[in-house]
Amino acid sequence: MKNSSNKIIIIMFIVFLLSVNILNIVIPDKEFSELENRVLSQIPKFQLNKLLSGQFTNKFEEYYVDQFSYREFWVGFKAKVEKLLNKTENNGIYFGENGYLFEDYESPGNKIKDNTEIINEFSGKHPDIATYFLLVPNSIKIYEEKLPLFASPYDQLDSIKVMKDKLNKSVEFIDVYETLMKNKDEYIYFKTDHHWTMRGAYYGYTALAKELGLNYYKMDSFNSRIVSKNFLGTYYSKAQDWSISSDSIEVFYPKFDIQYEVSYKDTNKSTNSLYESSHLEEKDKYSYFLDGNHALITINTSIKNGKKIAIFKDSYSHSFIPFLVNHYEEIHVIDLRYYNLSINDYLEKNNIKEVLFLYNVSTFSKDNNIRKINY
Amino acid sequence: MIFSSLTFLFIFLPMTLLLYFIFPRKIKNIILLIASLIFYAWGEPIYILLMIFSSIVDYIHGMLIERYRDDGIKAKLAVISSVIINLSLLSFFKYSDFFILNINYLIGTSFDTLNLSLPIGISFYTFQTMSYTIDVYRGEAPVQRNPIALATYVTLFPQLIAGPIVRYQTVASQINNRKETIDKFAEGIKRFLIGLGKKVLLANNIGMLWSSVQNTPQNELTVVTAWLGIIAFSFQIYFDFSGYSDMAIGLGKMFGFDFLENFNYPYISKNITEFWRRWHISLGTWFKDYLYIPMGGNRVSKVKAYRNLFIVWFLTGLWHGASWNFVVWGLYFGIIIAIERVGFLKVLKRLGKPIGHFYAMFVVTVGWVFFVFDKLNEGIEYLKVMFGLNNVQFYNGQTFYYIINYGLLLIALIIFSTPFITKLHSKIMSKADGSLKILYENGVIIGFYFIILILTTAYLVDATYNPFLYFRF
Repeated sequence: MKNSSNKIIIIMFIVFLLSVNILNIVIPDKEFSELENRVLSQIPKFQLNKLLSGQFTNKFEEYYVDQFSYREFWVGFKAKVEKLLNKTENNGIYFGENGYLFEDYESPGNKIKDNTEIINEFSGKHPDIATYFLLVPNSIKIYEEKLPLFASPYDQLDSIKVMKDKLNKSVEFIDVYETLMKNKDEYIYFKTDHHWTMRGAYYGYTALAKELGLNYYKMDSFNSRIVSKNFLGTYYSKAQDWSISSDSIEVFYPKFDIQYEVSYKDTNKSTNSLYESSHLEEKDKYSYFLDGNHALITINTSIKNGKKIAIFKDSYSHSFIPFLVNHYEEIHVIDLRYYNLSINDYLEKNNIKEVLFLYNVSTFSKDNNIRKINY
Repeated sequence: MIFSSLTFLFIFLPMTLLLYFIFPRKIKNIILLIASLIFYAWGEPIYILLMIFSSIVDYIHGMLIERYRDDGIKAKLAVISSVIINLSLLSFFKYSDFFILNINYLIGTSFDTLNLSLPIGISFYTFQTMSYTIDVYRGEAPVQRNPIALATYVTLFPQLIAGPIVRYQTVASQINNRKETIDKFAEGIKRFLIGLGKKVLLANNIGMLWSSVQNTPQNELTVVTAWLGIIAFSFQIYFDFSGYSDMAIGLGKMFGFDFLENFNYPYISKNITEFWRRWHISLGTWFKDYLYIPMGGNRVSKVKAYRNLFIVWFLTGLWHGASWNFVVWGLYFGIIIAIERVGFLKVLKRLGKPIGHFYAMFVVTVGWVFFVFDKLNEGIEYLKVMFGLNNVQFYNGQTFYYIINYGLLLIALIIFSTPFITKLHSKIMSKADGSLKILYENGVIIGFYFIILILTTAYLVDATYNPFLYFRF
């Protein structure tokens, strides 16, 4: 009796270890993980000096875990178990009500203050440039009532207030919190992604336009269309909760007549659309808006009013710019995470007199690249 | 390399087992030796030289002791030389910065620290190798004439980096003669999986509660949250450490070894004397056999007996880490054990088991505060929060958030800290018979271990899961 049970356990153990390894060998290595949105490690080349310094084994370990077969299955399985254990978060993502996922927001420490100082310095150096700052709260603040019971992330309003108080009067601070709160019954944030939707961006645009005295376009000046119904964003990738339903992506096209000339300077591509529909077939569907992250994009429009603006931004701007673009002849979109040339030279050369900063609270609380603005 | 990694579980272990079992008896120790050296060299290849050095030194000393067996003084010199070399290795790599910092503090010098990275497991294997020469000197174990066999003992990968501290006399005969059987191999797998589950599923997960509490600024903590935090740490360290010992014992069994137990449900103890008989048994035994008893133990004058007690607890504390908080932690237990010895044990027995148990857990949990904070003043501040002395709230929303998220896990941890499951298992095994027993053994039990295997794989893969929110960011 005892023997048969012992034999079964040995067989179970060995067969399991072997079959996982066989799968690892049989399934070809992948270059890129769409789910994790990153390049995966490849098998390291053997070098004696790397072996002796321990680098080879480290690289090998990275390679083995990155290429472990059925990673998604294991990660999703773990998420299921966590839910069974009554956990209300997984990998830093809260499971909210109504299918909302939220990324935890932690205390920004001094980051907000430091980054605001940098903006102040910029504004002080350029008294001739009108500077605006639009700081967008994340879904975790707007929909905080949907957070799990007793979850208490750091309050984003505190961060917004710190910035508002610290910012020089020479910079126009655009507070979109109230506007977004007023329209929170609409679909203004993705449930599974860290971005706002284009509808949310529209309300951000109206708040900016009111502050700048622009005659903004009413919602009925646009046709809206759903371009995708199966968007599972970054929060989903992290939380891996299979029971969450996907987001849809809504796009607004102007009913009025206007033409755009979009140049992606870093990849030398030009197009006359603000959207790149090939991304709708990929995992990261938000890249549909302005083709995802680029160091520098310029947009020229058929509005010959001579107005120019530069935008320093994170990806929240990608769904926002299609509204703002209708008020300017030239828009220069610069992503400080990837743009490494002198900003001063750029603004001077292109004779730009208006600058907009657009960040979401979460990125702005961690960003280390804003200092490049003063180079 | 660590046991709780995908590379160990899926590559290193199956390969080592395969080679070990296809080669004949004569080669088996060499296979184990090579595997152990690879295991050790995996993360930090340079320190493999230290292991080899240690093996050679101990081999030579063992032989010298044997040769001068009849010449008391020379044999004694050999064993002293071996102890000095081993302790010097340990002191140099583990304690030199601590020493330098204290000298700087005391006499105002400003020597630079060496910032050496600590060779993994040095605290464990130096203690093991000392046990070899001492055991040979005392005649409690025969000298090992085969250098490969001795090196196999010194480097044996199952217990190399986190114990148990296997004294030479307990495995001396197994090194040359041991029997691998199917039953033992299956026992080994079970034991290994129990340990792996303890580490990956229990310790790591409750550790998240502790690190979340630890990272909360102390003015935002509450009394209940602080207690939850340190209770979480108490479970984390127990399941982490005993899980590691289980894995070591299990792996040993797969290769035919029988190591002594290292933990025996310490959290069911009813006093601190009992706790230390159940916690990290191999370390306690080591100090008792090689330090406390040789110093005279308690069979000397009262003053000397307490001196011996405090020396042992001072060193037990220091062994855990090169920092004063560990010394305080050790002496804290020394004082309590002294109090228990004076007569408090009898009082406790009269008060009954529940009060004894509560007292023991209270003392141990408070003790972990000294253990976990490297800086003594941080630990004291934390204790103030626990006892409501820092003007903090009693509880808040965050406290409830932790209870909701970790309540079920905490209940499971309490159950697994007791022999409940083991007792239930033996009861079923003795009561059930016929087909019911077969179903239980071949179904429930196998299923249980299979689930551990699947779950640990999922959690290990998840730990390497690293989604990027922003591409190229």
